[in-house]
Amino acid sequence: MSIQPQMPKSWCLETKPHKFCPGCGHPMLLKALGEVIDEFEIADKVVFGCDIGCSLLAWDFFNVDTIQTHHGRTTPVIVGIKRADEEVIGIAYMGDGGGYAIGSQHLVNAAARNDKVFVLLANNTQYGMTGGQMAPTTLPGQKTETSPYGRDVEATGPPFQGPEMVTAISQEGAYVARATVANPRQLKKIIKRAVENVKEGRGFSFVEVLSLCPTNWRTNAEQTWKFVEDDMAKYFKIGELKVPGESKEG
Amino acid sequence: MDIPIVEAYIGEYASGKSENAVNRALWLKNQGRKVTLADLDIVEPFYTLRPIKKKLEEMGIEVMAWESRKTMGLGETGNIIKPELRWVLKRPGDLILDVGYGVEGAKTLNLVHGAYDNPYLKIYAVINVSRPMTSTVPDIVEYIKYLGRVDGIINNTHLGDETDIEVIQNGAKIVNEASQELKIPVIFTSVEKHHQDILGNRDCAGNPVFYIQRFMSETFW
Amino acid sequence: MAAKPIEGEKKVFVTGNEATAWAALAAGADIMYGYPITPQNEIMHYWTRLAPKHGKKFLQTEDEISAGFTCLGGVFSGKKAFTATAGPGNTLMQEPMSMAEMMRVPAVFVICQRGGPSTATVIYSQQETTLTCFGGNGEGLRIVYSTESHQELFDYTIKAFNTAWKYRFPTFVLGDGYQSKMRESLVMYDPEARGIEMVKPEPIVRKPGIPGVDRKPIHLRNTYNMEDELYDAVMDIVNDFKKMSPEVVEYATFDCEDADVLILAHGVVSRAAQGAVKQLREEGLKVGHFRPITLRPFPQEELKKYAKKAKNILVVESAYGQFDKMVKENIYGVSTPIKQYFRPGEGITVEEVVQEAKELI
Repeated sequence: MSIQPQMPKSWCLETKPHKFCPGCGHPMLLKALGEVIDEFEIADKVVFGCDIGCSLLAWDFFNVDTIQTHHGRTTPVIVGIKRADEEVIGIAYMGDGGGYAIGSQHLVNAAARNDKVFVLLANNTQYGMTGGQMAPTTLPGQKTETSPYGRDVEATGPPFQGPEMVTAISQEGAYVARATVANPRQLKKIIKRAVENVKEGRGFSFVEVLSLCPTNWRTNAEQTWKFVEDDMAKYFKIGELKVPGESKEG
Repeated sequence: MDIPIVEAYIGEYASGKSENAVNRALWLKNQGRKVTLADLDIVEPFYTLRPIKKKLEEMGIEVMAWESRKTMGLGETGNIIKPELRWVLKRPGDLILDVGYGVEGAKTLNLVHGAYDNPYLKIYAVINVSRPMTSTVPDIVEYIKYLGRVDGIINNTHLGDETDIEVIQNGAKIVNEASQELKIPVIFTSVEKHHQDILGNRDCAGNPVFYIQRFMSETFW
Repeated sequence: MAAKPIEGEKKVFVTGNEATAWAALAAGADIMYGYPITPQNEIMHYWTRLAPKHGKKFLQTEDEISAGFTCLGGVFSGKKAFTATAGPGNTLMQEPMSMAEMMRVPAVFVICQRGGPSTATVIYSQQETTLTCFGGNGEGLRIVYSTESHQELFDYTIKAFNTAWKYRFPTFVLGDGYQSKMRESLVMYDPEARGIEMVKPEPIVRKPGIPGVDRKPIHLRNTYNMEDELYDAVMDIVNDFKKMSPEVVEYATFDCEDADVLILAHGVVSRAAQGAVKQLREEGLKVGHFRPITLRPFPQEELKKYAKKAKNILVVESAYGQFDKMVKENIYGVSTPIKQYFRPGEGITVEEVVQEAKELI
């Protein structure tokens, strides 16, 4: 007899099956987040914000109050809520475009202010929803609709190092990490620490997750995992970059 | 059972892939075959098979595509893939894959499990000489080389409502020259039905003519 | 790059976005700045494919605010620079567009209207008409061409560069999602081969010579200390705008002379109005259509003339009153009754216009 995997309670049954593409990394991320929300029993305290892009497919995903905002503006909306209502556990969900391009100033300032919100960012190296344009985290040589000959690092810079930037400007009490959907146990552990950090009111939490987009990468299953585990891992280091109470070293 | 027909239509943006895919699927269905038409358009949500899904299903073709109204996120998007598409090769009968445009050409077929290993798969590049990026022999040759694996070329040269015999025959000539240089055969030339009286069964390059009916003009959104 | 992107003329089958990209190339645009937003993405997709082949440049910025300001930068350096956006991107770009208005920067902006407000739909509307003509914190001292076909997207994108650089106003090509994505045939051409005089750009900063030695340094600003300084600065621009208007204004008329019912529409909706006029005239009904092609400057005198003569006016738009407001402002004093047909975010068919017009007869 096979045991069916349990859907997290915080997942809204009525809106399943979800609309993400087959092989997408978002549902893996959202599953880890859902389990954490369940374990902490905070569904009634969380306000979940999603950005424009594939992250917006999460707008009716959870049994948690959700606001779909504008592109890059999820962080300030969630910050605004938290500032007005201290009890809220604010989680801002976005992609690499929403977080590192149009939303970068908000990310920087939320980190600088040590806003007690959790920014969770799915990095799949391109703008998925709009058809696969180049993004800040596109890899060198990677072909996208606006880098049809491959990303030229000389002209457009190297892949954006988000958690490293946030670490450099964040304050004591912040938690910053990079996880990957290729390691689900570690992913959940990191998300749990990030949520706990804002739940306990210690400071800003930021987690980037290396995620999958076979649709826009045009990869089959094997190639998809290879891309995230080998190619992306070359440019994006996995691990915790900043933990409250620990010194900046390591 | 006879050999299943599995064809993937790839090519430049707005070259006529979907129109040819739909007409080919209908032609096969009219031969008494079971056909599935799969929507693999993943770059922009316009002119996909979605709006005519119901109409085609009523005509007897199975269409694997989202219905526009059901895809939340259309606010910015719409190019998410329906999960069933991943396993579409497991379906019995013929399969026509409408592969949207994109910088990666035929690589989109990676999203269909087992596509490249399928012994029956034929990848056809649809070319319209009136499209500025594929209007000369060198451009077409360069473009097809860049697409990746291409087993055949479909000449879909037209100028919309301004198509005339000269446009059609000129297109046939140019595509034929490119085909010879690439050593990739031209499978057929597509021409709108109402030109049937001016053009016979073959174009000036000797390619068979496939007369098509316009469906995609209804599919703007 | 010796070879021109388009030699002579050729008939092609394209989408609107491609027509825009090719037109920018044909106009000699040097650089495009942009940010992904549906439905204008293909302008960027095609520009990035074509740019290296023709020695042109591209920058994808972090957002539309940056796309607008970097575009102004490109223009300041003396290059023909342009950008394209839609919807929420247009909202963001108003800040750089305001700077262009105040500082008389000849940047070219292509707007592909989508649903509004907020994210709305990626499809189509005419809900960015007010924003494109009067957005930002200024007086709408901009030139705006509202196109209705791929041929016009091509023609007016080329014209926009010439108009911008000749009269030094930020210039807009106002299209929409339908035009961006529809497929039509088009004649692409080399404008110089057609005898169109292409205005040459020139550096606005870093003009030849050492500043302070060979020439005065160029000091540009968009801020003033006192009310009266600002008044003078704005009135200077207003006066230039008024001087430019008769040379730039464009419109088209369809059977307006003896029209009892005058249909007013702009952009792609004009096609439906034209179809309606044709049909109704065949039925012997006196219906006409006035189409402003430039929304800024608006063909005020010309419209007033026909509006006065008509017995009824029908305003048709895919928005809730944006074009209607412009019409009313411009025909103030004319007492002809106005009926409105507003379909915010939706396309309008010939049948709908025929039905609405018939009710006025």
